[in-house]
Amino acid sequence: MLWVDKHRPKTLDQIIVHEEVAQNLKKLVTEQDCPHLLFYGPTGSGKKTLIMALLRQMFGPGAEKVKVENKTWKVDAGSRTIDLDLTTLSSTHHVELNPSDAGFQDRYIVQEIIKEMAKNRPIDTKGKKGYKVLVLNEVDKLSREAQHSLRRTMEKYSASCRLILCCNSSSKVTEAIRSRCLNVRIHAPTEEQIVKVLEFIGNKEGVQLPSGLAARIAEKSNRSLRRAILSFETCRVQQYPFTSNQAIPPMDWEEYVSEIASDIMKEQSPKRLFQVRGKLYELLINCIPPEIILKRLLFELLKKLDAELKHEVCHWAAYYEHRMRLGQKSIFHMEAFVAKFMSIYKAFLIATFG
Amino acid sequence: MSQPDIRKWFVKAHAKGNDNSSKSKKPEPAISAPKNPSPATAQPEKVVQGGQENSGRRKSSKYFATGKQNLKDENEMEELPTKRKTQKGSEELLKPPPAKKIQRVDDDEDEDFVLPNLRKNSVNVTPSKKLKSGSGAGITQKPVDSDESDEDNIGDKEAETPVKSAGRGHGGRGASVALAGRRCKHAASAVPADIGESDEENLEDKNTETPLKSGGRGRGGRGASGAPAGGRGRGGGRGGFMNFGERKDPPHKGEKEVPEGAPDCLAGLTFVISGTLDSLEREEAEDLIKRHGGRVTGSVSKKTNYLLCDEDIGGRKSAKAKELGTAFLTEDGLFEKIRTSKRAKTPAQEEPKKSLDKVAAALPKISPQKVEVKKDPILHSSAKKVVPKILSSGVSPAKRKVQTTEHTSLTWTEKYRPKVPNDIIGNQSLVKQLHDWLAHWNEQFLNTGNKGKGKKQNDSGAKKAVLLSGTPGIGKTTSAKLVSQMLGFQIIEVNASDNRGKADTQIHRGIGGSTANSIKELVSNEALSVKMDWSKHPKTVLIMDEVDGMSAGDRGGVADLIASIKISKIPIICICNDRYSQKLKSLVNYCLLLSFRKPTKQQMAKRLLQVSNAEGIQVNEIALEELAERVNGDMRMALNQLQYMSLSMSVIKYDDIRQRLLSSAKDEDISPFTAVDKLLGFNGGKLRMDERINLSMSDPDIVPLLIQENYINYRPSAAGKDENGLKRMNLIARAAESIGDGDIINVQIRRYRQWQLSQTSSLASCIIPAALMHGQREILNQGERNFNRFGGWLGKNSTFGKNLRLLEDLHFHLLASSTTNLGRETLRVDYLTLLLRQFTEPLRELPKDEAAQNVVEFMNTYSISLEDFDTVVELSKFQGHPNPLDGISAPVKTALTKAYKQSNSRKRVSDLITLPGIKKIPKKRIAAILEPADDGLSEKNDSALAESEEENSSDTEDLEGTADGEKMLQLDLQSLNSKAIQVQVDLKGTENTSAKKTPIGRGKGGSGTTERKGGRGSGSSTKRKR
Repeated sequence: MLWVDKHRPKTLDQIIVHEEVAQNLKKLVTEQDCPHLLFYGPTGSGKKTLIMALLRQMFGPGAEKVKVENKTWKVDAGSRTIDLDLTTLSSTHHVELNPSDAGFQDRYIVQEIIKEMAKNRPIDTKGKKGYKVLVLNEVDKLSREAQHSLRRTMEKYSASCRLILCCNSSSKVTEAIRSRCLNVRIHAPTEEQIVKVLEFIGNKEGVQLPSGLAARIAEKSNRSLRRAILSFETCRVQQYPFTSNQAIPPMDWEEYVSEIASDIMKEQSPKRLFQVRGKLYELLINCIPPEIILKRLLFELLKKLDAELKHEVCHWAAYYEHRMRLGQKSIFHMEAFVAKFMSIYKAFLIATFG
Repeated sequence: MSQPDIRKWFVKAHAKGNDNSSKSKKPEPAISAPKNPSPATAQPEKVVQGGQENSGRRKSSKYFATGKQNLKDENEMEELPTKRKTQKGSEELLKPPPAKKIQRVDDDEDEDFVLPNLRKNSVNVTPSKKLKSGSGAGITQKPVDSDESDEDNIGDKEAETPVKSAGRGHGGRGASVALAGRRCKHAASAVPADIGESDEENLEDKNTETPLKSGGRGRGGRGASGAPAGGRGRGGGRGGFMNFGERKDPPHKGEKEVPEGAPDCLAGLTFVISGTLDSLEREEAEDLIKRHGGRVTGSVSKKTNYLLCDEDIGGRKSAKAKELGTAFLTEDGLFEKIRTSKRAKTPAQEEPKKSLDKVAAALPKISPQKVEVKKDPILHSSAKKVVPKILSSGVSPAKRKVQTTEHTSLTWTEKYRPKVPNDIIGNQSLVKQLHDWLAHWNEQFLNTGNKGKGKKQNDSGAKKAVLLSGTPGIGKTTSAKLVSQMLGFQIIEVNASDNRGKADTQIHRGIGGSTANSIKELVSNEALSVKMDWSKHPKTVLIMDEVDGMSAGDRGGVADLIASIKISKIPIICICNDRYSQKLKSLVNYCLLLSFRKPTKQQMAKRLLQVSNAEGIQVNEIALEELAERVNGDMRMALNQLQYMSLSMSVIKYDDIRQRLLSSAKDEDISPFTAVDKLLGFNGGKLRMDERINLSMSDPDIVPLLIQENYINYRPSAAGKDENGLKRMNLIARAAESIGDGDIINVQIRRYRQWQLSQTSSLASCIIPAALMHGQREILNQGERNFNRFGGWLGKNSTFGKNLRLLEDLHFHLLASSTTNLGRETLRVDYLTLLLRQFTEPLRELPKDEAAQNVVEFMNTYSISLEDFDTVVELSKFQGHPNPLDGISAPVKTALTKAYKQSNSRKRVSDLITLPGIKKIPKKRIAAILEPADDGLSEKNDSALAESEEENSSDTEDLEGTADGEKMLQLDLQSLNSKAIQVQVDLKGTENTSAKKTPIGRGKGGSGTTERKGGRGSGSSTKRKR
């Protein structure tokens, strides 16, 4: 089993990083009155872990006996019926689902399926709670319509059902929903915290951590605990025992993005743009989310860029990311960004060096 | 663009002379002649007329050659001018008009020739000769005619004509003015028939007059206008296209002012462009030349007047040009030529003409003879045309009259529909084939039919029906009808306007069946008539037109048609547009297939010229070729266009046709590629906005994708001079942003149904990028073909979709293992690298059995299947990076597969026995899939077992477990183990069990890692459906 999973805290008490939050949640639950919750924070900060621990706190070990179901729902949408595939992860007490998987049809999931689930009271009232919990992931990716339909559900069936929403950015969740939830911000762990966790794992696994390695991993992890633990283990797989200057292998796709970045910096020509397009396609095909690609690409470019251009390039990156979210074919917008960058950078080079 | 100019010029210089001469040659010439005293102006007129007559004559002569039947037709055609001119009057005075006209023609010539005295004589002399020879020809011809021999004759003639005509035309032009020169092209092209003929018949007459000269001229001087047919054709198929990308930019691109000249100043000149010009792109130069009436061909021949080049790169073209003594012309020279033409229109135009050739230079001196020479053939030919007119007392006028009254209201397509098979343009061999087939039909089938059907099979090669296919408007129906007519068949035509459903075409039931609808009646009657009314209707033929149009209304039509063919006692000719249509698949087997091809534009232009001359329209041949090209081989459409244009103008020029057809060619199918070619092409900037919208809306889904794929490849002409590529980069950035806009708008359209935005969308995604980027295409990758690629997005998107599903499967399995709870995105972005390492590192480093053991253990913890293993590998592949599986030897992989299977079977069995509570999803899914088959399984255990064995034992156990209970498990295990090897072998042979694709995929994965991809693909897709 991977270390990330192996050493994941199972109860609120075991939680090291967000101890405070964990304790508060525990109090909240034990006082029997659990509101709707909205967890938000960057990836790898421990939202999911907290939620699972919280569920266990609420329902006991029964919450851990989950089964996965991939069910096709027939949804009646006015004139036609739509088939929706939905994967759910459920125990007797809770259902976890990812409504944004349905893309622009997420509205139907919220309107029909979630409502259906929320309506039904749990039969087994011998359990501690008289309600069940719906865990919705990636709420920030829900379309606006879906979010609007969600808020009614939240009010109407609050007696039988609690929602736990989980997302990266609360800014993409509508005001209406945010105000109906207890917002819990899970900040990214600091590097010290990460180092602490890594050392803790190292101890448990009996791995000798050379001094500095944990810190370097933490630094590279971009304050994502998950990433840190994963790359810690990757290092372990790659080479053990560790040497003092152990190389931390980058993620495969990050490596690729940085190649793209250096391609762009080296030459700004239509030909190069064409090659870059091919590489971007390659990333997209391998299921790397376009936003992440763009962000990473910007990072890599900024590393090599002159200070005076940084501001402008950031502006354009943001501009194109926004457009990418509005649009559908992300490659178009990424290409537009690259083209824009090339044109800016080329002008800059010519102005500077003639 | 130049059209108004031309008109102006016409009006000014020639007063109304030209107009009149074109439409009605009657009284005007007399008036105009005095008005324009200068020889220069008078000449063009004359030549113009000559040209017209020529064409008319040419036609007539052609018909003469073909014989009696033609005579009628030709008369009919010649009717038109008469009709046109005297539309009102002619009906009453049927006879007089022709006579008058002829006289007038003579008059005209006289009048014209008064001025250039020298010519007058010769011309005056010739008419009489003309008449003689012409009539002589007419007479001699008539008896000669016979169907088949005609064909040959015509063929010969056609083959010969281009060369000769060229010579003639040139001669004509040499002495004449610019405008005239252009006209002369008509003459040139008109003459061919004559010459061909003259070889046969008129040789004596003509030759006695000026045998040597005409011959010499024809061959030597030729060229200028001669190129039209041959040269142009070659130009069209320019082979250099592929190399465009490699040509350098002109060094002074866009720095020179491009002159505007008189529209015809380059008429008759043939250019070849070589190398890089000074300031013009090649396309620009070509356009410039064409616009001024010149021709551009692809390679140097003796017809080439100028080799346009600014630097002698010593290529093949220049070598050839030197060899042939072709003049070299620089770009500046060309500009100068054009400019001078503008400066002093009439007088100046003479100059370039004269300087054309060496031969031309010599011309003025010998002008008297030359004129004779030149005139001669023309006159001869004109004589022939004139013949029917002149023979006011002859037979033809009488006939003509009748026809005139009948046909006045006909469209041209009807009026000029070929009347004999030889008139059909192109596809002569097919027509012949059709003819033969039809001619022999009766003996082949009917006799045998009478004797008994057994014999029919013997002649397997012969088909009872024939299927003519080809694009619309190229004469399929016409040929079918003509051939049938010629062979004396009575034609029954059934087309899409008739009901052709199944019940209808039951020939065999005869009249006894329901007689409700037309076809059936027709067919059954015919079937009867074959038997009974043989004497009355000796032969009939059924023409099933538009068989590919048999659709919803004609249920079972094709099948029934086939049945009809089988039993038919009359020949059946089926006609369709798309022979490869799905509907016709079965029919094709029963028919003799004749695929009609589009006639070449030269063939069409020739015919169009006949028509327009007959109608008294002045058109130049380039224009007609352009027309032929624009209508894409559709003769009918060409005629319609021509007729339409004739309503508003009597003189039609290249530009008119271009402009007219730019807008009217809309209804032709524009493929997305053509649309993109046009939008991004060199002349993309000259399109009107509505044209651009039309182009981009021709397929609003595909065109934007094509644009997006290819816009980078264009070197925008908007960038102008751009050494460092900065402007181009800027333009690309802007275009890319606009394409992004298009995408955003598209989301609004599709998701929120804002269809009113669709034009905005095409504006943003096609037109703006195209406007920014249009220019010359260049290749970005070595070895790439310089054509627009198909949009990559669709393919990539579907690959992405596939991978996403695979990833989703993996994700699902991970979730099911209940060891982790992660999102899909997290899985890909964060986990995958480590997963891959967990898989591959041990395999690389540890001894194979241990490695396999380790990996399988790890996979089992996460309930990762071998397919998922492949997914992980697949998703970690990046182009240009080493394959993650590199360095893992095949035995290790096999070991892994084996280990996986063993452990898996063990594990699952144990799972089954212990707790059904936490079931793994993959099993569940498969079990669910197999559920329907479950009942059957217990009964016919053997077959089911065999099937399920393909599924790698584990699934079998699943089944068995549910079906037969735990007792069986032990047994099964054993049996499975023993069968394990067998299973592997069997797999290859049993792939066809569709329901079990998934397991097969897996099995393959085991047996050969290389094959995994395919197996997995199908596996996952079937899984998905379930």
